[in-house]
Amino acid sequence: MATTTAPTKRAAPVGAGAYTMQGRRRQALIAWLFALPFVLFFGIFMLLPLVSSFVMSFTDFRSSDVQNPLNVDLVGLGQYAALFENPQFRQSMLNTAYFVVVGIPLTMAVALALAVALNSGITRFRTAFRVGFYTPVVTSIVAVAVVWRFILQDTGLLNQALTWVGVVGPDWLNSTTWAMPSLIVLTTWRNMGTLVIIFLAGLQNVPVELQEAAFVDGANAWQRFRRITLPILRPTLLLGAVLLSVAYLQFFEEAFVMTQGGPLDSTLSVTYFTYDQFGFGEYGFASAASYVLFVAIVLLSLVQFRAFRSLD
Amino acid sequence: MARRAIAMTMALAAVMTMAACGRTQNNGVPSPSDASSVEPGKATGTITMWGQGAEAAALPALLEDFEAANPEVDVELTAIPWEAAHNKYQTAIAGGTTPDLAQLGTTWMADFATALDPVPAVVDTSDMFAGSLEPTVVQGTSLGVPWYVDTRVIFYRTDMAAEAGYPKPPTTWDDFKAMSKAMQTRAGAEWGIALPPGGTEGTDFFQSVPLPFAWSNGASLMNAEETEWTFDTPQMIEALEYYQSFFADGIADEDLSTAPGAIVAEFVSGETPMFVGPPSEIGQLELAGGSEFSSKWAVMRIPKKATSTSFIGGSDLVVFEDAENRDGAWKLIQYLSQPDTQTAFYESTGDLPSVRSAWDDPSLSEDERLAVFEAQLTDTNAPPASTAWTQMSAAADTQLERIVKSGEDPATAMATLQSTADSIGTGS
Repeated sequence: MATTTAPTKRAAPVGAGAYTMQGRRRQALIAWLFALPFVLFFGIFMLLPLVSSFVMSFTDFRSSDVQNPLNVDLVGLGQYAALFENPQFRQSMLNTAYFVVVGIPLTMAVALALAVALNSGITRFRTAFRVGFYTPVVTSIVAVAVVWRFILQDTGLLNQALTWVGVVGPDWLNSTTWAMPSLIVLTTWRNMGTLVIIFLAGLQNVPVELQEAAFVDGANAWQRFRRITLPILRPTLLLGAVLLSVAYLQFFEEAFVMTQGGPLDSTLSVTYFTYDQFGFGEYGFASAASYVLFVAIVLLSLVQFRAFRSLD
Repeated sequence: MARRAIAMTMALAAVMTMAACGRTQNNGVPSPSDASSVEPGKATGTITMWGQGAEAAALPALLEDFEAANPEVDVELTAIPWEAAHNKYQTAIAGGTTPDLAQLGTTWMADFATALDPVPAVVDTSDMFAGSLEPTVVQGTSLGVPWYVDTRVIFYRTDMAAEAGYPKPPTTWDDFKAMSKAMQTRAGAEWGIALPPGGTEGTDFFQSVPLPFAWSNGASLMNAEETEWTFDTPQMIEALEYYQSFFADGIADEDLSTAPGAIVAEFVSGETPMFVGPPSEIGQLELAGGSEFSSKWAVMRIPKKATSTSFIGGSDLVVFEDAENRDGAWKLIQYLSQPDTQTAFYESTGDLPSVRSAWDDPSLSEDERLAVFEAQLTDTNAPPASTAWTQMSAAADTQLERIVKSGEDPATAMATLQSTADSIGTGS
């Protein structure tokens, strides 16, 4: 006689409920609940202003319209056309381009030189040097501006030092040719610390054995740097370049505290122009200017990703 | 599928929002018929007030008397700095967090017109200077009450002027320039006069000194119908050429320091024996120079070309539309407009009363310097109450900087300013 036993119920493996339709919906719901705080925060404080400022850039919204936001006229692309016809805006675009084209390579070169020196050349007091290079990054711009104005003024330290060498220095901050270079040097000094730290970390990825092998093969320091260090450092360089371009395209603080956009608008940046327009209550016009800057940042980042792409 | 639906819904929402946009005829400025009355009797409740500068510092003493006269009221005063004030008011209006009443600069009335309560009939402004009442009227409605006025006159060192050969103040443009030059050559001053070179952010230099010269030459900022700006006129260009000549001839310093107290210090030391300033500088000079210095300087009117017209400024007291204690706010304004309160205010700040009968008080009527101010107040002008003026003033400051520092031809600068003005428009 055959005995049949009822098949034992297989214990359901943990998580098997996820494979049913109901289980999937429940999992999705739980996931959304976990993400809800951030999504709400992001939606209200980032997404909403982003979308509304984009719509605003196509209208003639002014500060007096804040209580009745829909009581504005659609201007459309005419707003952007008016922007490009504004000579101050065109000047501010040129200034920003000048700043970025000179500032980014300069900062990266200085930071790379310092990082390489810190990595291989300097052996004592390394931490002190790292702290020293990073301090300008964390110092308040207002404090920095007071000191630098003191140094750069007509009778300031820099011009006094130059007289020892027999050179008559110009009035750095009041000269239309020298104001922007002074700001570029100031910004480089302030931001090289961040890049030094990043490049130092990247330099740890360069294997010492490769360097030694190249040395044995007769390569000098510069050749080792150019052919071994730099290619391995490409992703780090890309990171540095993108970080700098996002920051430098929006430069504002240095011009604001040192020269107030002068003299004669030679240090007026696109962000400063936008700030002025917001001050005048021209919210629609200012939003259009900020979106032009956004497009510029995106384009520059795309160019950098292409230039520094990994060659593997 | 779901993603497409969401995207399409967002696009539809955006299109519908855009379609809903559109300006209506009434752009929000209240009309005179919107003025409602004030409940009679004493003020009650809490009144919130915002003030700027030295005036806010002097208010608590005056408010004590108001609170004594109205025992059930409590006034909360918040002091804000002048540089941040314009932005703070804008943000407060946008966010609905305005106080009951506030002190606004006379050139700001148009910017905030849509959020102000029209002046009720019961508040008496008949005894105030006509020049100070004009800027409070925006599109036919009076939106504020002048609190104090200020006008610009020329402060000069009488001892150095006598040395330079000018025992009496000059009255014409040529005499004025000759005197400032003589101060340098004969009285040993480094600079003849401190004139603002334009350009610095938000300081409205153009309207404080070059504009009075332009007005004195018969120029005006807008045409008679107030439909367009008129910068590109021969009178304006001539006035700016006169202004530029002070810098070109080395009489005025184009790198003038605008640090607080710098001009007063140079005036006291004799380095720069003339400057253009408001009455508040009288107090500054007395502090910096002491009592013996008082006999060495005087004031004179803006030199005359066609007329001797100066800039009238000051502050207006306004009540916001969304005020919680509207009645209390207007009663406080009435109190601050009484002649004896105005005189007490003058004594603590040096700001000139806007109420004419306050000038009859001995402390004002017997002061020779104030007699010059009072005479100047009979011939003043102010920029038009237009929302575009702040922007125009900044554009004018930029052109002024070019005229002074790069020696640009005033005719070219005014042509550029005119095209900027045409693109900005006259606002509302």
